[in-house]
Amino acid sequence: MNSISTDVLIVGGGPAGLSTAIALADKLKQRGENKRIMLIEKGSSIGSHILSGAVIRPQIFEQLLTTGEFDGIPFDSKVGADVTVKLNESGGETKLPFHPPYMSNDGNYIASLAQICKYLATLAEERGVEIYTGFSVDSVVYDSDNKVIGIKTKDTGVDHHGMKQKNFQEGTTVKADITVFAEGTRGSAVKTVIDKLYLDAGKNPQIYSLGVKEIWKVPEGRVKVGSVKHTFGYPLKDKQEFGGGFIYGLTDNRVAVGLVAGLDYQDPSFDVHAAMQIWKTHPYVSKILEGGSVIEAGAKTLPEGGWNSVPKYYADNMMIVGDSAGFLSTPRLKGIHLAVESGICAATAAADALVKNDTSKESLSKYEELVNSSFIYKELYPTRNMRAVMQDGMILGGLKMGVQLITGGACLMVPKTEADSDTTKKTKEFSSQSFQNRFAGKLEYDKKLSFDKVTTVYYSKAMHDEVQVPHLVVKNPEQFKSSNINEYGLAEASMCPAEVYELHIDKKSGDKSLRLHAENCVHCKTCDIKSPNSGIIWTTPYGGDGPEYNMM
Amino acid sequence: MALTIISLMKQVPLPSEMRMGDDGLMDRTKAKSIINIDCGYALEAGLQMKIDNPDAKLIVCSMGPPSFDVSLKKAISMGYDEAYLLSDRRLGGSDTYATGLAIATMLKHLGYAKGLNEDFVIVAGRQTSDGDTAHVPSQVAENMDLPQATFIEVADLKDGFVTAKRIIEGGYQMMKLPIPCALSFTPTGVDPRRPSLEGAVKARNSKVTVFNIDDIGLSDEKIGLSGSPTIVAKVANIVSQRAPAKMTDGHGEVELVSNLIENIKAGKNNVEIKEKKAAKEKKRPEGFKDVDFRDGASGILTWAEVVNGQISRPSLELLTPARNLATELGNDTKVMTLIIGKDLGDMPKELIAHGADEVIVVEDDRLQEYRILPFATAFEQVIKDKNPEIALFAATTAGRELAPRIGVKTDGGVTADCTALEIGEHFDRKKKIVYAPILESRRPTYGESKLATILGFVCPQISTARAGTFPVPTPDASRKGKIEKFTPKLPEKDFVTEIIETVIGEGGMQGLFEADIIVAGGRGTTSDGMKMVKDLADALKAQGINAEWACSRVMVDEGVAEYARQIGQTGKTVRPKVYVAIGISGAVQHIAGMVESETIIAINHNAKETIFANADFGIVGDYEDILPELIEKVNGGFTFGLDPK
Repeated sequence: MNSISTDVLIVGGGPAGLSTAIALADKLKQRGENKRIMLIEKGSSIGSHILSGAVIRPQIFEQLLTTGEFDGIPFDSKVGADVTVKLNESGGETKLPFHPPYMSNDGNYIASLAQICKYLATLAEERGVEIYTGFSVDSVVYDSDNKVIGIKTKDTGVDHHGMKQKNFQEGTTVKADITVFAEGTRGSAVKTVIDKLYLDAGKNPQIYSLGVKEIWKVPEGRVKVGSVKHTFGYPLKDKQEFGGGFIYGLTDNRVAVGLVAGLDYQDPSFDVHAAMQIWKTHPYVSKILEGGSVIEAGAKTLPEGGWNSVPKYYADNMMIVGDSAGFLSTPRLKGIHLAVESGICAATAAADALVKNDTSKESLSKYEELVNSSFIYKELYPTRNMRAVMQDGMILGGLKMGVQLITGGACLMVPKTEADSDTTKKTKEFSSQSFQNRFAGKLEYDKKLSFDKVTTVYYSKAMHDEVQVPHLVVKNPEQFKSSNINEYGLAEASMCPAEVYELHIDKKSGDKSLRLHAENCVHCKTCDIKSPNSGIIWTTPYGGDGPEYNMM
Repeated sequence: MALTIISLMKQVPLPSEMRMGDDGLMDRTKAKSIINIDCGYALEAGLQMKIDNPDAKLIVCSMGPPSFDVSLKKAISMGYDEAYLLSDRRLGGSDTYATGLAIATMLKHLGYAKGLNEDFVIVAGRQTSDGDTAHVPSQVAENMDLPQATFIEVADLKDGFVTAKRIIEGGYQMMKLPIPCALSFTPTGVDPRRPSLEGAVKARNSKVTVFNIDDIGLSDEKIGLSGSPTIVAKVANIVSQRAPAKMTDGHGEVELVSNLIENIKAGKNNVEIKEKKAAKEKKRPEGFKDVDFRDGASGILTWAEVVNGQISRPSLELLTPARNLATELGNDTKVMTLIIGKDLGDMPKELIAHGADEVIVVEDDRLQEYRILPFATAFEQVIKDKNPEIALFAATTAGRELAPRIGVKTDGGVTADCTALEIGEHFDRKKKIVYAPILESRRPTYGESKLATILGFVCPQISTARAGTFPVPTPDASRKGKIEKFTPKLPEKDFVTEIIETVIGEGGMQGLFEADIIVAGGRGTTSDGMKMVKDLADALKAQGINAEWACSRVMVDEGVAEYARQIGQTGKTVRPKVYVAIGISGAVQHIAGMVESETIIAINHNAKETIFANADFGIVGDYEDILPELIEKVNGGFTFGLDPK
């Protein structure tokens, strides 16, 4: 058995994991401690699986980094004009005279989070952190008392059925005094830990949105560098689909555009990728993009449940940071600064624990204390009910949101939060007009402004080794066929932004079956979150597989 | 001493990223660096050998800039024990000849050479994606005086002998050779393993040993530009732009198919390319001295390869450029052809009919089948005897390993895989010298996006010519020429390699790369499980056409076809003369794998599909209707303009 050991293992090289690594290295150095910090990342390089808007509140990086390092952060541009508009179906738009609460972006920066992570990785390496990219976690390792003691990476060189091939390589078991889970949204390893240790007991289920993003190169003069535009309305239907679009002006005549929609929708035919394509045809968007071309595209989910959905984020020998813990401020649409802050808090607790040589739950409870006295609590607690009330639509929901601003988050008649996998209705039971019917005729793409899903996959540069067990697991094939396919009409085919799921109808017998194209997967995790009956389990493919984002 | 497995490895820019520049040009600087694909297979082949030889030491060697460190460490993370890098600015500009010498010198420095430690085997990639020459393994072998086997798919090493499966045209060959020896691997064997995390930790803590040329005792005249017998004289962009497809008009499949055939006969639409300014007639600058470096060498020597008792077609094609060059050179320059084998019968006469002036015949019972060592020795002796100024080989698997080996023997460079051969002159502005006449060998490079002109200054100037580029000359049975027997002295050591068996007709998927026409089916051909796609390919084969069938990725997912037949980004990249895409929508991923085909014909029932934007000829119609009609036409003799074998 391949085995190595380390003092601290961080799983995931996003902003949360890298901040944990940097802060921990600093704190241990201050105390004169020499400890091994390892960070593993499933992407082929740091940043290759990172996708974010991203408009970033920069202040937190001043705490994490030295002044010189802070000045070197590769932000793209400072936010200038910042508007929110409602797009109308007729093709016009209405500008909001004010920003929705928490939405002001004064002093913030537009950036590629992938680029920032690459930068943070170099700073972590300089501090002695060992970063290994292209390794994915197969399973979490526990001791006999069900305490986390590390992870095992995936075996490679197996065929579709898991049979060892000539080039078989056994995965490596990493034993760590402390394991920090920083896997990002819907972490596949931490999900198993939360289940096993009941860390979400008494909490709301986590709920998510899916964002589909493209970076375009557009003709000169289309968009001001640093301009931030948010849209709501078209093509999303109020009370049915929560979300909106964003258009960020980048340097070099590039523009980042995207549409984010809540996965708490009921319509089994709703399709965020398709909605994003239709959104781009609205004149408010198309006048910016026309004549340009896509450089990169991709998709990712984000946890929007807020404070009430945050699980217990530490246990014996382990902590959870960033999106994996659900630290994301929904009304601000931002989680990066919270990810970094949670990393700093976790690092402080970890350093104490290592010095005391006590990594028990009690010792690591310092992490919770620190979070509760940090701005994570200050931002998330008063807005804890905000996402939930948006199920009531923009008007009533907006009103209730206003109430919360005054009451510090308390509100009557907060709708119950259901897991996204439970909100989808069966095709027959969904009585409103379906998304597919609503936009019949608009779902053909011109391949200039709007694209099909495989083209998005192409621009994500996603690749997966052909020779491996498909990483998307149908939990119960019988139920999947009788319910997911026959009752929900394979909602997975609509929800997935990357054409991983295809409904195959046999021409002769009319028999319907699932055809799985796991190699298209862009690692957004939507299926794992939204599949009815929780029918799909997202597991990691070989390390290094997946999208190759460069500036997302 | 314990066995050492030495892997030669090169780091290259990721080929797919190299094609992706905004302006359509190659941009190496932005591309991510990877271990060259073929080298990855060689690394794995070394690791596979370790299974049978658990005490073997695995070392990996490379030559290049310090940035190669990344790939060398990756080799360690895969399971290699030690890594060595020859890195020196003075190596810049080295051609394959100088590279082969430098690597052989480094290995000698490490103690691996005849007369020193001889318990080793060299495993290398067949060729690199940024050079595409396939020269270096042969040149290292010749420099070290080792037997070699190139284009190997899998190899076993047991009891001091390597048993290897060598891919050849239309089949394979099993061979056995003693160590020490050098092997080059195709990317069709065991897929390179992924590093384990434990291996990556080990690699992080390991150190790559870096040598400069002084360390290994190599003088700087022998490397870099001064040590390279060939230079890249110029590089021109190949503008490849497809004109809009000629769509077929008509009603019903009979009319549609016959109109398609008419369209194909009439030719593609042409892109209007702005005429480039005609190259200015070069005025010879004053004060330049003429140098004729041939120093008495004269004539063009070609090799006639015998396969299955026949002269191979590419060897006959070779006589076309040979004759043209002879004409350009004038002064009664002779075309000489060397043919080696057993029971050659009328073959020498056939060569004369096709344009050879002189045929040199080597007949020996031991040379019935091609084997590199005695053939290279025979060639060397013929070259000494005839002193030709140019030597040409067809770029077949044999030609591509033989030419570089001979190049080392004659201290000359080799230009691989040429598509044009002309006589020109070269101005050396520093030395104020005009080298004339000189062979200008042109070859596509950087993924076919550029055309490089390569010059060599040592005679014979050696080039290999891409098969299928030149037409076979029309034979003239009345042509007269000289037929001369030649008996080379062949040492016993040239026969250490044993050919166990040669199997033709089961070449695996190599056929896809060699086919003149590929018939590919996509989603639209599901109804009969691609039966008619295969029928069309069979019908073409029956006409004597080198045809293969392939598919888009969905057919592999459907289980209709095996992965080895998949064309596209995650499958194979092919460039046949004709590519017939049937029921394929044209997803970008598929296009990436076939866009370089000479002629693309698309058949699809949906006129809006992207495939038509990437085709030369299009026909909108149902698979079930069009194919039977088309197959019938093929049975009647229609071959998409291709000549039967």
